[in-house]
Amino acid sequence: MTARDPAGPGHDPIEEHLAALAVALHGPARVKARMLTEARDGLADAAAALAGGATPDDHAARQAVRDFGSVDEVAPAFQRELTVAQARHTARAVVLAVPFLLACWALVTVVGGDQGRHAPRVAQTLAAHLGGVAAAAALLAGAALAVTGALARRLPTPHRLPLMVAWAGTTATAALATSALTLAVAATLAGSWPLGALIAVLALAVHARIAASARACRRCARAPLVATGEG
Amino acid sequence: MKDDAVRGHLDALLLAALEQGPLHGYAIIAAVRERSGGALELRTGTMYPALHRLERLGLLRSDWQAVGERRRRCYELTDAGRRALVDKRTAWRELTCAIGAVLDPSPAPGPAT
Repeated sequence: MTARDPAGPGHDPIEEHLAALAVALHGPARVKARMLTEARDGLADAAAALAGGATPDDHAARQAVRDFGSVDEVAPAFQRELTVAQARHTARAVVLAVPFLLACWALVTVVGGDQGRHAPRVAQTLAAHLGGVAAAAALLAGAALAVTGALARRLPTPHRLPLMVAWAGTTATAALATSALTLAVAATLAGSWPLGALIAVLALAVHARIAASARACRRCARAPLVATGEG
Repeated sequence: MKDDAVRGHLDALLLAALEQGPLHGYAIIAAVRERSGGALELRTGTMYPALHRLERLGLLRSDWQAVGERRRRCYELTDAGRRALVDKRTAWRELTCAIGAVLDPSPAPGPAT
């Protein structure tokens, strides 16, 4: 229900405005699509109301776009929500990856123990350190989930939090990549190379997912933001 | 009175507009306009991010629903949202009472001389 400009086919003030807004925004595709769909509905409703129930013309559509606000005016508020959504995606991935890492290490240890063969001490030491790093990243990610969720009713969300989550995600990906290699070597030395290969592939897949999310989170965190009253 | 009047009270206005039941975005704008006698006009571009934030905080929930011939994202208050609205109403009454006491030109009753 958007207006067409008689000046030319395909020229729609509302769609043009939303396209410009879409270019300015970065964040999870699904959340972004939902926000833009709602904005489109709101603009179409506003144009219809301005047209007094008749089919909205170009004038009504342009007025609805002016009332909506320019991209420069409204993008920061949209971006803030998208940045928080991306940070929560990254944090969730990190929180889920750590138990996976620990389960993999436990599996290698159990399989090696059953066969009377153990991973070298250097691998065990490295795994312990990597586990510590991953656990710290997971704790930070868990705190970020709490602070940007229900806890945000009472506490303001720090503006640097998404960037912190992004770097926690990056740290977790480094730990995962190194863990993948360590676990593969340890599993092979423990006499189970198929298990080692499987764990390495799985760990690298998780690593790739978190790395992409952390990259997107850094990009969002660099986007211009506006302070919004939380709670 | 447009954005400037609403700034700082947007969350309370959104929660209050949804007190009677679920509404989609533009219906919220219309409800606020109607209840304020046309004095308050929420800006579409700032309202949607605010609705998302309130949903993330657990004060609202939303779902796609058929409204007329179209599907719209409709928002409604959660229990936490109702409690937050009560708190915001109380805070608003205290604030207006305090500001009214300062601005009101009527003299305070003083001691009898």
